[in-house]
Amino acid sequence: MQQSSGSITVRLFAALREQAGWDQRSWPLNGGADALSVWQALGFGDAIPDGTRVAINQEFESPRQQLQQGDELAFLPPISGG
Amino acid sequence: MAGSIPIDVALCSNAFEPLAELQQWPHQENDAATAIFIGRMRSQGSSAEELEAMQLEHYPGMTERQLQHLASDAASSHGVRAVLLRHRIGRVTPNQALVLVAVSADRRGPAQRCCQALLEAIKHDAPFWKQEISRSGKRRWIEGNTPL
Repeated sequence: MQQSSGSITVRLFAALREQAGWDQRSWPLNGGADALSVWQALGFGDAIPDGTRVAINQEFESPRQQLQQGDELAFLPPISGG
Repeated sequence: MAGSIPIDVALCSNAFEPLAELQQWPHQENDAATAIFIGRMRSQGSSAEELEAMQLEHYPGMTERQLQHLASDAASSHGVRAVLLRHRIGRVTPNQALVLVAVSADRRGPAQRCCQALLEAIKHDAPFWKQEISRSGKRRWIEGNTPL
């Protein structure tokens, strides 16, 4: 079992927030965790759906970017601005 | 240099009047070419139903920074002189302005190309989410954008 090494903040928006029923929560950070592993651990599914993007500390990042203690991880459903 | 190009970006939580914003923007009088795009909320939804309103959600902090970044990038790439960008957030009603993009340059080509490129960048890379609210009270999140 991987050791917990602090925590991150997870944020959800729009349809994803409504489906999950929450918008922000603290989540334990395990060594080597990335956005995909957090997505899976949250019970959202095996894969991040096409069009859903990941932001870490408010910058777009790869779902495989390793997370660090204190990071703000956001899952962004397909965007529709302009 | 991108850093020296005036980039004026703001999110508007209340209705704004695009022409009034333009009147207060000095570059449209001082530069030879200005390209302008004004986007307004449609009265019909994506399923052709009549809409009561739309809720525009954003990611506070990231959205503002991303708009500034996209505008600076577009301005630098196209060699324009100034960019003005306004984008609504919150509850919007039909025909209200959603977005204003204005680009001033010394020629029409760079102004028009930058305006179009920046608008497309906003649609694809700025974290906004639209939720349609129909007259019958149904709410629906819109995924993706209308065709070009």
